[in-house]
Amino acid sequence: MKTKKLIPYFLVAPYIAHFLLFVAFPVVFSVILTFHQWNIISPMKYIGLANYTRLFQDKFFSQSLANTLIFLAIHIPLQIIIALLLAEALNQKIKFRGFFRAAFFLPVIVSGVVVTILWQQLYGFDTGLFNKILTALGLGRIGWLVDPSWAMPSIAIMATWKNVGLYIILFLVGLQTVPAHYYEAADLEGATHWQKFFRITLPMINPTIFMVVVLSTIGGFSLFIEPYVMTGGGPLNSTLSAVLYIYKQGFFYYHMGYSATLGLFFALLILSVVAIQKKFIEKDK
Amino acid sequence: MRKQLLIFSFSALIILLLLSCGTKSERKSNKILYWSSNNTQEIDFAAYIVNEWNKQNNPGKITFQPVPEGQSSEEIILAAVVGKTTPDVYSNMWQGDVEDYARAGVLVALDTLKGFLNFIYSRCDSASISEVTSPDGHIYQIPWKINPIMLMYNKHIVSGMGLKEPPANYGQFNFASEKFKEENIDSHGYVKRWFGYSEVLVTWWQRFFDFYPLYLAASNGAPLIKDYKAAFDNKYAVEVFSFLRNLYEHNYFAKERLSARQDVFLSDIIASRFTGPWEILHADKFKPQGFDYGFTHMPVPDEHKGPVYTYGDPKNIVMFKTCSNPQLAWDFIRFMIDKKNDLKLLELTNQLPRRKGLMSDPVFAEYFIKNPKMIEFAEQSEYVRGTDPYPNLTEVFDIISQEYEECVIYGKKSPEEAVHEAARQVNLLYIK
Amino acid sequence: MKKLIFYILLIAGASIFLYPFIWMLTASLTPENQIGNLTFFPTKLTFSSYSQMLGKIPIGRAFVNSIIVSSAVTLGVLVFGSMVGYALSRLEFKGRNLIFYIIIFTMTLPFQITLIPQYIIMVKFGWVDTYWALIVPYLMNAFGIIMFRQYFKSISQDLIDAARLDGCGEIKIIFKILWPNSIPALVTIGIITFMASWNEVLWPLIVIRDSQLMTMPQLVTLFAVGGAAESQLGVKLAAATMLALPIVFAYLLFQRYFIQSMASTGLKE
Repeated sequence: MKTKKLIPYFLVAPYIAHFLLFVAFPVVFSVILTFHQWNIISPMKYIGLANYTRLFQDKFFSQSLANTLIFLAIHIPLQIIIALLLAEALNQKIKFRGFFRAAFFLPVIVSGVVVTILWQQLYGFDTGLFNKILTALGLGRIGWLVDPSWAMPSIAIMATWKNVGLYIILFLVGLQTVPAHYYEAADLEGATHWQKFFRITLPMINPTIFMVVVLSTIGGFSLFIEPYVMTGGGPLNSTLSAVLYIYKQGFFYYHMGYSATLGLFFALLILSVVAIQKKFIEKDK
Repeated sequence: MRKQLLIFSFSALIILLLLSCGTKSERKSNKILYWSSNNTQEIDFAAYIVNEWNKQNNPGKITFQPVPEGQSSEEIILAAVVGKTTPDVYSNMWQGDVEDYARAGVLVALDTLKGFLNFIYSRCDSASISEVTSPDGHIYQIPWKINPIMLMYNKHIVSGMGLKEPPANYGQFNFASEKFKEENIDSHGYVKRWFGYSEVLVTWWQRFFDFYPLYLAASNGAPLIKDYKAAFDNKYAVEVFSFLRNLYEHNYFAKERLSARQDVFLSDIIASRFTGPWEILHADKFKPQGFDYGFTHMPVPDEHKGPVYTYGDPKNIVMFKTCSNPQLAWDFIRFMIDKKNDLKLLELTNQLPRRKGLMSDPVFAEYFIKNPKMIEFAEQSEYVRGTDPYPNLTEVFDIISQEYEECVIYGKKSPEEAVHEAARQVNLLYIK
Repeated sequence: MKKLIFYILLIAGASIFLYPFIWMLTASLTPENQIGNLTFFPTKLTFSSYSQMLGKIPIGRAFVNSIIVSSAVTLGVLVFGSMVGYALSRLEFKGRNLIFYIIIFTMTLPFQITLIPQYIIMVKFGWVDTYWALIVPYLMNAFGIIMFRQYFKSISQDLIDAARLDGCGEIKIIFKILWPNSIPALVTIGIITFMASWNEVLWPLIVIRDSQLMTMPQLVTLFAVGGAAESQLGVKLAAATMLALPIVFAYLLFQRYFIQSMASTGLKE
């Protein structure tokens, strides 16, 4: 029957329609928009490459990229170390594993907004818990969110707290795939726990580690709600993330053309970084 | 089977078609739709006004609704303009937004309406009128109400420090701040209470509560932008930046965002702040027993002469071009801002109508007797400025805010450099 | 001895992950002026923060909005995802590979590039401030399609052939044969989609301005950032607690599935 041949097309038709409308068209329109100036209420004005020249002189944009780098530089290593440590702990024969696992995973599922509001209080200079602990220990207070050198690291720490549960689970799965007889063989040779860890465990879970790096990178590039709620991008634009800046240009100032230009550039940047990371993984295999 | 698929795809198509049609409401020519702000008291006022109008058998009926609650009323209006669902009359338009909308061609040029110019010159002073006149010569907005920014202070703290009056100039302000700091510093050198506070926020509108009113006060109401160029690259702006920078450098003002805590003025953590008459309602609602506060003008440079100006946070009335009967809409607006209803505005909302002679006109006398705290604001209302009639003001204030942060909060630039750089960037903005 | 160290590590870890939430809950129940002194247990319990918050923002309404939007999106992703996943895994047709690569491509496309144009489409369609704007862009999910395709490939062809012999149409095959045999995939994709949709804030911030239509996280965000809380800290924490409750509740009930779902996504990468 002829219709039988058409069935697959009916099945994928909604997807194709959706793709054209929400992916293909936006990408094309986005590129076109980068050559125009538009504030939504007035007609579009063609301005050639002006947005691009502006982008390359934009100190706020370059700062936002630097900020993202700082964020990733702190967040990724911190995440890996903590997740590995706790996953290794969970992997031992211990009781209440379910409880611990549930506790670590809780911040992952809760909305980023909740975490941000919460940590804004914890980071308070005078009344926040962290500074209270520091003062009780006789140490000086830290301007977690008001000191330009601390603000982005503070956000990175908070982001680690929020997401590490997911990576603990991923590492746990990875750890459990290491064949037991490797460890048994090492035990026979009298290896210590840490020797086993560095010589056997780490190399075997390399793929997991790389996956964590890639996922964290993509997540880090999307950083938006935390700086938006906690610091508004300050102090001194030290927490201005690229997405926050793109949002500001588009929805505070209504520079739609310029915002689209920033978005395009940033998207291409992300794609290149992820491609490079993936090549790295392939090489290692 | 074939039938199933056909029905399925057919209905999908119908749904898609239906989805692609937005809904558009019909507008009849003798009805006016009026949007008020969604502030509770203003809604009460709007309900009253509309009721009075409709009662009086005037031609044409008015319906009103509060602007939908949302992120900010500015955003709602923008969404309405974009979606072509604007009301006929809107009464909460921030003066700084009007020029952008006028240039987009969505506002009615009110000076072309019969009776407009006469009325407006009798209600408002010439300074306010020239402020709302666009560079193209037309008037697209009606000054409606203002909330002047003044210095609110804790009376007990001020008198407790031995001061008979609250500080009036920078010298006195710094003196009081230093004295207060000495009394409130702990053994580790941490200041626990501050004499004043201004929210350390880089967001552009925060400047309405620190830099801008101080600048207007210091410069006797000088403009920020003139002839599409920055007009603030002068000694007044530098003095204001200097003053503020000094406050943060000496920790007279807290660098931390105290608003993430509970209200610090009412809990005695700060002795003063720059704010407007809306604070009265909030303070009276939440203040602890025995708490006493008052208002005075913004501090000025020590050598300042003449009256002290400030920022009035003006909200104005506009008419959108989607209105099918502008003359009728104007008649309604004129009714809304006549003397009797301006008094009603005062009584219901505690917000000052932007009209001349508030303190001299006997019509308003009784209100001020009942609300003595408003007298300071009414006297100030003769000396307020709104914003200059130029587009992209949000970005102007944002540029100033960036320099403000670098110079005032973090001391990384001198006030001269900061003001100069801000002016330079603003000039670039208007070249495009 | 070694075990003791690990236990200490785990308990320390668990406390670090749990304490902030406990603090948030207790702080939202303490009177405003005592929050600064709070460490573990408040001296007085009060619901005033909650009643104030409820009076200021339509959080119940926002909750309903989030339920509607997230359920619709999850349903859409499951239905459409399985349709496309089935076509890609089990049916032969021209362009099948092309569509597969398109789907992979969309997975790598960062959202930053489509944000503004998608907003403009919403404006042109008149969907701003409507549920459509929140639901329709998310009805198709590349990740879901890929997962379905993967899973359907593992289902025995005999099952499908038998159904065809019985005269079953393709749609019936998907929903009456494949779905009952794909519960793990359905649960995984369902939970992840629902959670992601529930927690999404950036898009609602862009397309919804009317507070009657805002989603719960969006409303709480604006509440925390804006001035409506009148700098009353307890009120903000109450809002945050309310936002956290539904997901935490669902999490406590379906804990195992949550964790399994998230774990398996990582494996598939």
